[in-house]
Amino acid sequence: MNRFNRRDFLKVSAGASLLVPMAACAQTAPRAGGKKRVVVVGGGFGGATAAKYLKIGAPDYDVTLVERDKVFTSCPLSNEVISGEYPLSKLQVGYDGLIKRGINVVFDDATAVDPAKKTVRLKSGTTLNYDALVLSPGIDFNFAGIEGHSEAAANNELPHAYKAGPQTLLLHKQLAAMKDGGTFIITVPPGPFRCPPGPYERASQVAYYFKHKGMNKSKVLILDSNDSFSKIGLFQQAWKLQYPGMIEWVPGASGGKVVKVDAKTRTAYTDFDKFQGDVVNVIPPHHAGHIAKNTGLTNERGWCTVNMLTMESTVHPDIWVVGDSCVHGDLPVYGAPKSAHMANTQAKVAVGAIIAKLSGLPAPEPYFVNTCYSVTQPGYGFSVVHIYRVVDGKLVYATDAGGVSPVEAPAITRKLEAEYQVGWFKNIMADAFS
Amino acid sequence: MNKRVILALATAGLLSAPAFASGDKTAALAATCNNCHGTNGVSVGPSMPSIGGLPEAYLRTVMMQWKSGERYSATMSRLIKGYSDQQIADLAKYFAAKPWVPQPQPVDAKILAQGKAASERCTTCHGDTGSQPDDPAETPQIHGQWAKYMELEMMKYRDNAVAMPHRRMRGNTQRLKEEDVAAVAQYYAAQQK
Repeated sequence: MNRFNRRDFLKVSAGASLLVPMAACAQTAPRAGGKKRVVVVGGGFGGATAAKYLKIGAPDYDVTLVERDKVFTSCPLSNEVISGEYPLSKLQVGYDGLIKRGINVVFDDATAVDPAKKTVRLKSGTTLNYDALVLSPGIDFNFAGIEGHSEAAANNELPHAYKAGPQTLLLHKQLAAMKDGGTFIITVPPGPFRCPPGPYERASQVAYYFKHKGMNKSKVLILDSNDSFSKIGLFQQAWKLQYPGMIEWVPGASGGKVVKVDAKTRTAYTDFDKFQGDVVNVIPPHHAGHIAKNTGLTNERGWCTVNMLTMESTVHPDIWVVGDSCVHGDLPVYGAPKSAHMANTQAKVAVGAIIAKLSGLPAPEPYFVNTCYSVTQPGYGFSVVHIYRVVDGKLVYATDAGGVSPVEAPAITRKLEAEYQVGWFKNIMADAFS
Repeated sequence: MNKRVILALATAGLLSAPAFASGDKTAALAATCNNCHGTNGVSVGPSMPSIGGLPEAYLRTVMMQWKSGERYSATMSRLIKGYSDQQIADLAKYFAAKPWVPQPQPVDAKILAQGKAASERCTTCHGDTGSQPDDPAETPQIHGQWAKYMELEMMKYRDNAVAMPHRRMRGNTQRLKEEDVAAVAQYYAAQQK
């Protein structure tokens, strides 16, 4: 130990090329005898990954994860629960893996953040102090964005099933109660929304259910606020092949935007028309989880703006926002999609930036990758890959890599990507929660 | 970097934090692979291969072949184009240094015997239990690798519609009987050393 001193430590840490001013360290030094404290709010893919990788990267930090529910239910693959292909239990995981890693998991509701005092207040009355805060609150719905809609209606007649859980099972139950010749309506909110291919995967899974139950006169109607969607060419190819005439997509430009619903009659209204369904799956417009909103971190569209290279909030320092609640990569082409994979990589970038900042070092180069598989029927899948890199200090989407699976591809490609979806799912669950 | 300094830092428990933050760029880069291949490259998803502990040369060869188009992949060929040759070399080195963790995959005796009998043609390169690869640039160890993944890889080698680089693998997998493919995969998957 006698040959080790603070100067060596800094030299090594900063890659020998950079001498960090002592003042930078003094500012962020822990209280005497105290550990550096990071609080993570929200135990989904973003928050769980952040907590785990903080503990891996900085085992001496005091890491607290605040989460409402004792069991996490994954949204990825939940469309397969709606069609009955997967039990919901296969999408669930607890927090024991993170607890075993030495993370304090607190089952409570974070009700307020004070960015000046650097505290998080919990419903139980506890106040947590932090040196760095990670917010990964996911989304909240704006029911008022659709006339006649309400949380009560979503819990009963018009489930969104866009937070996996009881509503996923409710939607499956409603589907299972349909008679042949009925219509299953999916309404899609204006983008950006969680899981860009989600509604179209869902349409495919519902059509698959009809087909294998012999309900060939039944229909899926997608009423969309938007004029295009993720992997559109691949979905439309699959629909033509697997479910000819069964899925109808009405884009926003053709009057697909739903503005009003009636829960009693299960009717969705656009500006020009009304559509009555046997099942009406209304995905309401959504925005960042309310704690982010209440902390003042959101923009006029309801999403948190972040430094694209570090995930630190552009509003309040020492708060990092990851996952669906942030607008990340507000780029001319391909802003970061709201996916589990993206949340996971954003969390890892935030962890690197937090440890660097608390050590008085510059943030490391960030690496963002997204991979997202969609399965339209068992054994038939495809994907989109997004890669981002830093060019001249700015984050850009790599146009020379990534992209969607080729539309013209040998049959084996679809089969492999259907298999990869499940492998991806198991690994990302473990990478975040084990 | 001075070895004593590293040792001192490690002893003081201080190395790991800045390593992830700044000192080791490859660790941060590699973390993006974990999403699909498992933390430290140890996969828990049967269609995805474990990559931690595979030979460095093999990992580099495969990634470079995807990049050039010489080797087909449904997903990786798009992903890998986003990485420079240097990053590929760094990732190969990083994952090669991780321990190989065979995944326990018990299989019933009948399939095990069928797989062993049919795997005769595999042993020249992979060894009796899949743990003795002959050429680290071309051949991975396969003991305890996921059976599902190996079955899918063989499916690729058996399908002439896609480009695969290794003539001997092509020939030998195509000479396998259809009903033996899964059994061979399960035989090697069941081997723990």
